[in-house]
Amino acid sequence: MKIQVNARNRAHHFDTEVDENILYGGLSEAVDLPYECGSGTCGTCKAKRLSGEIVDLWPEAPGRKYLKGPDEFLMCQCVARSDAVIEVPGFVQTMEAGACTPDFLGGRITSITEMTMDVVQLSIELWEPLEFDAGQFVLIQVPGVQGFRGWSMVNYQRHCKTVEFVVKKKPGGGISDWLFSGDRIGTEVEVFGPLGRATFYPSLGKNILCIAGGSGIAGMMSILARAASDGYFTQYDGHVFFGVRSMKDAFFLDRFMQLRQRCGDRLQVTVALSETGATPDEAADFPLLKFETGFVHEVAGKNMQNSYGNIRAYLAGPTPAVDASIRMLLMARVSTDNIRYDKFS
Amino acid sequence: MMSKIHVCRSSEIPADGMKTFDVAGGLKILIANAGSNFYAYQGICPHQEVCLGEGFFDGTVLTCHQHLWQWDITTGAAVGLAEAPLESYQIDVVEGEIYVVQASALKAAELFAGIADATHDKLGDIARREERPGGSILYEIGDATDDLYILESGRVDFQIGRDERTSAAGFVLHKGEVFGWAALLEQQPQRIARAVCLEDSVLLRLSGEQTLKILEADPATGYAVMRKLASLITRQLTAPTGK
Repeated sequence: MKIQVNARNRAHHFDTEVDENILYGGLSEAVDLPYECGSGTCGTCKAKRLSGEIVDLWPEAPGRKYLKGPDEFLMCQCVARSDAVIEVPGFVQTMEAGACTPDFLGGRITSITEMTMDVVQLSIELWEPLEFDAGQFVLIQVPGVQGFRGWSMVNYQRHCKTVEFVVKKKPGGGISDWLFSGDRIGTEVEVFGPLGRATFYPSLGKNILCIAGGSGIAGMMSILARAASDGYFTQYDGHVFFGVRSMKDAFFLDRFMQLRQRCGDRLQVTVALSETGATPDEAADFPLLKFETGFVHEVAGKNMQNSYGNIRAYLAGPTPAVDASIRMLLMARVSTDNIRYDKFS
Repeated sequence: MMSKIHVCRSSEIPADGMKTFDVAGGLKILIANAGSNFYAYQGICPHQEVCLGEGFFDGTVLTCHQHLWQWDITTGAAVGLAEAPLESYQIDVVEGEIYVVQASALKAAELFAGIADATHDKLGDIARREERPGGSILYEIGDATDDLYILESGRVDFQIGRDERTSAAGFVLHKGEVFGWAALLEQQPQRIARAVCLEDSVLLRLSGEQTLKILEADPATGYAVMRKLASLITRQLTAPTGK
């Protein structure tokens, strides 16, 4: 179908396939439509139908609560059944040359490794290699579960054939329930991506601060992998704060040890434990990491005093942790263009 | 035009605090207490209909928590990532009760924000207020670029191309948005787009020639306005940088 999007600054034109939602159709043709979760929750991709037939594939999507009037819809959940003209209330640009344009990719789950009681690491082998920026995510759809779910890549490489994720068990979460309720290795999945604007490039030229709660650490690992492979921490500081409840919930500590050994003292990694602190013996197992007790934004705030010069902050994790971190950074006068996060989970 | 509306008691807003209120006429209004002064703005973010009362306010800068758009609390001017200013209301405090009155579109115009009062008054003198029904055409491609327009209420769409082959070229819908700015440019004698009121709209029209004369008489203001105009034009052409 031919879609015309009227935005505040101009009109864009693109085609969608049968049953391809309008958001993914536009993004895959480098039209940078507004979105955050891409999966029906945040309401950011709302648009208004001006003409044509638009069908909603998920009328119960929670993001629909942001809609007003019968002609408004979520681009991530709706397909066009005829040529259509729609309107988006903001400025829409064409993606910059060199940006990784998202597309549909298929793949197969090749490994699932238990990291803690409720977190697994999962690998998907893609049929075609994926180009993405460190810090981005993809949307995954599995057989028998409606809708897509956003997962951040943990690894980073060019022409990536195997992408790694960490997934937290969330009772009542469709894909999470599916993943934790049987042997899923070998299952073929649908992948759309890459997406997300909280990206890192070595040309950034700033010290970096990563504040992540739980499985939000995934995208930070990708950023750190890219930075480490470029020798970024020979020139700039890296401050990583990883929040979990207790040592039982912590993972990737060996990876952090390796990163510290590889990158030296300018990369500092602090594990913030919100419920139960680390015993001296537990801490002694990871001599290059710091362990502190408290919520991750509080621990970060305490440690970062006077260290905010020339900084770029990346945030991820549960919404309350991200919001508290934003507030902390604004109070510390970090400018908003240096606070990056994607609210997709 | 909106009359004086009661919003709240001044004691309800602590110093360096803010609150939103639903007032008569279905408006949501944000009142901020910046220590020595109260300020009133639209209570909904101009970006994506998020309640600004849920954001952050440090006594100087207001931040929407969704996408970190920010505004200067004393002027409502966009700061940092924000792509639009906040609509401000004139505030009146009488015996501890806060009232607001809607400001004129000229006062709300981002292009003329922060300019000298005397120059502002001169621009006010040449501004002609027009009410136009939905569907009416403000100008056509090829028309003379005589006037600069400021939207007070309603919505104006732009189209380029002729007859059957027109294409949407954007729209303005926020109070104080300036369009038809070719009237301020040299060697741009003809309109390159058609402007149509998509709904009943109220506009201020300022003669480009007279506006330029007023700006020439106050070069500091003129320079500030031209810089804003340059960034306004640039915003139509390029992406806010994502890197």
